[in-house]
Amino acid sequence: MPKIMLIEDNENIKKELSEFLMRYGYEVNAPIDFENIVKIALKDEPDLILLDINLPYYDGYYICKEIRKEKGIPIIIVTSRDSEMDEIMSMNLGADDFITKPYNTQILLARITAVLRRTSGSNSICEIVEHKGLKLNVTNGSVGFNENGVDLTKNELKILIYLMKNKGCIVSREDLMDYLWNSDLYVDDNTLSVNVTRLRKKLHEIGFKDGIETKRGLGYILL
Amino acid sequence: MNIKEYFISKLPYIIINLIIYLLFLVLMSIAKMPFVVMFMIFLVWFSPLMIYIILDFISKKRFYDDITGIINKLDKKYLLPEIIKSPNYYEGKIIYEVLSECNRNMHEHVNFYKNLQKEYREYIETWVHEIKTPIASSKLIVENSESKEKNSLGDELRKIEEYINQALYYCRSTDVNNDYIVREFEVKESIKNAIRNNRRDFINKKISVDIEDVSGNVITDLKWVNFIVNQIIINSIKYCTDNDGILRVYTTEGNDNIILTIEDNGIGISKNDVSRVFDKGFTGGNGRKYGKSTGIGLYLCKKLCEKLGLGISLNSIEGKGTKVNIIFPLGNFTRMK
Repeated sequence: MPKIMLIEDNENIKKELSEFLMRYGYEVNAPIDFENIVKIALKDEPDLILLDINLPYYDGYYICKEIRKEKGIPIIIVTSRDSEMDEIMSMNLGADDFITKPYNTQILLARITAVLRRTSGSNSICEIVEHKGLKLNVTNGSVGFNENGVDLTKNELKILIYLMKNKGCIVSREDLMDYLWNSDLYVDDNTLSVNVTRLRKKLHEIGFKDGIETKRGLGYILL
Repeated sequence: MNIKEYFISKLPYIIINLIIYLLFLVLMSIAKMPFVVMFMIFLVWFSPLMIYIILDFISKKRFYDDITGIINKLDKKYLLPEIIKSPNYYEGKIIYEVLSECNRNMHEHVNFYKNLQKEYREYIETWVHEIKTPIASSKLIVENSESKEKNSLGDELRKIEEYINQALYYCRSTDVNNDYIVREFEVKESIKNAIRNNRRDFINKKISVDIEDVSGNVITDLKWVNFIVNQIIINSIKYCTDNDGILRVYTTEGNDNIILTIEDNGIGISKNDVSRVFDKGFTGGNGRKYGKSTGIGLYLCKKLCEKLGLGISLNSIEGKGTKVNIIFPLGNFTRMK
């Protein structure tokens, strides 16, 4: 499980963001001692640091520079300062990415995965999500069950990812569409129904039966 | 400076002298002075007077011609006192001093307001950045919550965010400094970003999107373009028809520009209003009917486009739809390859 260190002094954001990231399967550590933050970060060796700029004692740029001197831990700067100068400065100091508040959480997640994938070397490049023996390879868009495999289209892939992330919970059509549009797939109501039907058929073909259930008036659920 | 007019302005002075001389002449003729003496007195009286007037004219002409010549050529006319030389006669010196004093005072005054505006702008900028933190945490709270109101609260938060952004850009657009950074990016990125921002409206209003024909890279400031595109798309959504709304975005490549067209099939704008949509505070018939318009969005777009050197135009047929063109120039200057 990738370990993320959250350096942020706003209590609410810290709490909610930790909760949010934990839900998506990250281990989160949010230190409170900002005076020795650089030492803590170096000792803790997280896989990724989410860094705010406005902090007590030292500002984010300084922390970023100090960490970079010692170790190449990936850093994403998250700040409400959005001028181009801030962005350039962050990049110059060696930050891997720059996101402005208030962020779209899906985009934040995507950036985190991208940075992690880029920095973690070739071994863990392909991301595989598993559910009851159903293996979904996010990187090449194929899904396997037992010995069988099938390729998914972009829409089907995204639908399955979202259902798997929320397995056991009812996912409303509204949320599903929101997720798809957020991934730049502009589907309408009918297309969504067609895609879900096709996805169901494909899963059926490889032997994963009755996986996706329709809850009338509520949405879909992956059992 | 015209010698004739100068002479006319000196006329009262000469006439008074003449009248006194005439009185003198009457007295002298009563005293039976010879004519030659009277003529000599005339010469002694009037030739220095004329010489004085002419010399005065020459020295003044130099100064005033200087001023009028410079003021006509000058772009910023208030800089005059800093350019002209101090004249070498008394009255001119007074005027010169007064002018410089006025100028100094005006500069102080202008600087005072400049600072005031700068401070205000800086305050707005910090305020905007400060308010973004609570918005960010509210968004996260909403995201993590399981409540029924989750989506509608999220929508409202997004609107707040948009209005705040508008304030930020408004404040930036009035500033004399151009704090943008120009770089190359794909136009499509900007469109995708705007659609992503407004995705819930697209889904709720069942508007379909076609951005297949968007291609090409432009060189300008990404954030400003994002803001402009976002404003235009918000308008398209706001004034879309209830069913079968379609947003079509495409680019056409000209010789030295890329034209980005954002087209909708909404209610459109009446003929009378089209020419004024970019005016500040103009809401038009649609604004009155739908009551959600502030007349700031398009005005800002126009202003930001002007600052970035982009063109923007709007065509609309009432009842059929609206088409906004953004023209990105691609001169030799911007083709950095």
